[in-house]
Amino acid sequence: MKLSVFIDKKHEEEIIIYSHEKSKLISDIEELISESVNEIVGYDDKKAVILSPSDIYCFISEDNKIYAVTEKERLAVKYRIYQLEEKLKNNFIKINQSCIANIKKIDYFDASIFGSLTVRFKNGYTDYVSRRNIKKVKERLGL
Amino acid sequence: MNRYVKSFLGRGAVFGGFGPIILGIIYFITEKCSTNFSINGKEVFLGIISVYLLAFVQAGASVFNQIEEWSMAKSLFLHLTTLYIAYALCYVVNTWIPFKIKILGIFTAIFLIIYFVVWFTVYFTMKISSKKMNSKL
Repeated sequence: MKLSVFIDKKHEEEIIIYSHEKSKLISDIEELISESVNEIVGYDDKKAVILSPSDIYCFISEDNKIYAVTEKERLAVKYRIYQLEEKLKNNFIKINQSCIANIKKIDYFDASIFGSLTVRFKNGYTDYVSRRNIKKVKERLGL
Repeated sequence: MNRYVKSFLGRGAVFGGFGPIILGIIYFITEKCSTNFSINGKEVFLGIISVYLLAFVQAGASVFNQIEEWSMAKSLFLHLTTLYIAYALCYVVNTWIPFKIKILGIFTAIFLIIYFVVWFTVYFTMKISSKKMNSKL
């Protein structure tokens, strides 16, 4: 595959790929571009951190604030849940009214005794899929 | 109006009508199977109204499990309690069961057994769903 890069401030920035088929390379490029476009700034008391979507396990809403849950910490973000849902369409899905999950960071689903599905993330954080969102999550997983 | 109240009323209005239809089918079958089955107009009227309300509440109460501000335990408890009160009232008002402690005790036991059988069926359905979803992760 040929690669051509043109540095030209007169043109709108754009990436076009011609390929005979959709390969892993193209998927990787798509993910890389999506991540660079969708970087999110997370804040705690002392610092601001630029987060790539792939670093984020989920977004949760608590006490009217939205947090990005990463491997080891929670960082506040300046978005609402619906804005994140719009912005991060690739690997994220709303699983209940106050949580958007990164599908790639889900360890497993399990049934809860109260008739819903719990979600265990790879960092140990646990949330649940509300009944309203079960169908959408299943569709997203290809079921 | 709160969206959950709207949803409760909407579901009740849509599915409430199924109650009297089922009651009519039960009356029909009972009449075919019994030699001395007879009911008067007051009983029919009371049956239709009470069963309509029962179906209305049962359909509406399904929204309890979707109120995400409630804990799962709270929604389960309120769903169980609401259905129990609706069923007990309907049965007592129609004199399908006498208002006696012993009979109400048996009614309560049967109600709880059926409720939890249904609930565990949902649980195992979810268990199967979760396994399928895990296979796609």
